[in-house]
Amino acid sequence: MEIEIFGWTLLDYFQTIVDGVLYGATYAIIGIGFTLIFGVMDKLNLAYAATALAGAYFSWGVGTQIPLPAPVAYVISSIAAGGFGYLVYLCNFRYIPSGAPLASLLATVGMLLFLEELIVHSTQGMPQPYPALFDDVMLEWGDFGMRGDLLFVFCLCVLATVFLLYVLYRTKLGMATRAVAQQPVAAQLCGMSVQGTNSTTFVIAGAIGGIAGAMIGASVGILSPLLTVPVTVKGLIAAVIGGLGSIPGAIVGGLLIGAFENTFQLLRSVTERDMYVMLLLFAFLAFRPGGIFGTASRHE
Amino acid sequence: MSETLLKVSDVATAYGAIEALKGVSLSAADGEITCLLGPNGAGKTTLMMTIAGILKPRRGSITLRGEEVAGRAPRHIVERGIALVPENRLVFPDMTVEENLRAGAFSRDDAAEIGRDVEAMFTRFPRLRERSAQNAGTLSGGEQQMLAISRALMARPKLLLMDEPSLGLAPLIVEDIFRIIRELNAEGTTIFLVEQNAHMALRIANHFYLIEQGRVVFDGTPGEVEEEEIIKRAYLGTEV
Repeated sequence: MEIEIFGWTLLDYFQTIVDGVLYGATYAIIGIGFTLIFGVMDKLNLAYAATALAGAYFSWGVGTQIPLPAPVAYVISSIAAGGFGYLVYLCNFRYIPSGAPLASLLATVGMLLFLEELIVHSTQGMPQPYPALFDDVMLEWGDFGMRGDLLFVFCLCVLATVFLLYVLYRTKLGMATRAVAQQPVAAQLCGMSVQGTNSTTFVIAGAIGGIAGAMIGASVGILSPLLTVPVTVKGLIAAVIGGLGSIPGAIVGGLLIGAFENTFQLLRSVTERDMYVMLLLFAFLAFRPGGIFGTASRHE
Repeated sequence: MSETLLKVSDVATAYGAIEALKGVSLSAADGEITCLLGPNGAGKTTLMMTIAGILKPRRGSITLRGEEVAGRAPRHIVERGIALVPENRLVFPDMTVEENLRAGAFSRDDAAEIGRDVEAMFTRFPRLRERSAQNAGTLSGGEQQMLAISRALMARPKLLLMDEPSLGLAPLIVEDIFRIIRELNAEGTTIFLVEQNAHMALRIANHFYLIEQGRVVFDGTPGEVEEEEIIKRAYLGTEV
């Protein structure tokens, strides 16, 4: 006799949570991007997820002109999103006085809406197909199965994260990024350029975001303008739940949201799941405002 | 009198409309310890930050061995051989002690030499070696000051600027810091320091400047400082 909870077996839950965690890797990356830019600038870049998806759209656009193998599309998405990240830095941060954090924040909201409009206009608002890899593979153990494409999404996101951590902790550029984030005056005294470091951080964060954008398209099978806001919100929640400024926090937060939303999708349907994600955010803000790895207090 | 290493001429620096330095001129002789005295708000830190390139002067000239550095980027200035140990130390709190040292050598490319210099800092400050893998934010005030000094030395400066290195430290640690300053100077590093503790400074410095409200109002040797009434009253606590 199988044990059932709310009409679903434990295996159903296990399957749902694993699928959610695999897809949650994309939220983790978006969360890392938010956290990383918050770390160096002490400001939120709300356009971040939009640049990630704009990168994916860019590679889709190239793909409509010349047929692209999926891996090439992903690389193009990453490069384009890195470029968009740099543009966001120039338009929303570089020339806005550092003492006006609200101005930068609102500028990034404007950028988010602008990119969204751009996407709607260039696709007539219609969802567009996006190539996946290994979507014909299914790994099966009895009744439990893993989708090959989701597994690939997860692995590529892990690789992107490892790459980022390598840059941050093993290169001079990463040292400058951390130094500027922690103590900008001392960083300059050591010969580091604050603006140079910040702009490079936007490019690198953008580039790994482009991978996440492409992976979102690949795992859903389509790119849609309706993705921008939910991905922004979930990436942001991943960063907040993990503790703004903490990369491990964003990773845990992203995977948690993936599992959480998929579970509520199973229990309550796709139309309701995002409400529960919001409730998760409220619960964290009420009971653990610093997040799981709470370092945000340092930025007070 | 030895050769002039640092020469500051008529430097004015402002924060918006407020002029913190109103035309400061002074110099630091090669191989000596020069000390800047002055009350809070006189412009001492502003001058240090201007020399290091963090603040841009409105006018005036700053030369290191004749080469103009006023208004240049901090990176350029540190490469020319001026390093600042900032007020309140400003260590990188979430980086390890060793990473802090390596950050100090950011402008250098000679990996092997950098490794040797890290080792030399650990030899000079054994406490830093003990804590090399610890985050700098967990160090005591005295240890952070030693780390801030070592970090500046990692750039191999000709001129070491020090902004109140004894601030907030216990007397024994202050003794230590001053011993180290004297050692560094004896090894050939020219030192220009801001210090409130005039008694300690009198024991090590070769030349003094007094700055008030953004202007140099006195300069002289330790002997002259001890004779100067305003300094006696304000900094040495001597009854007149």
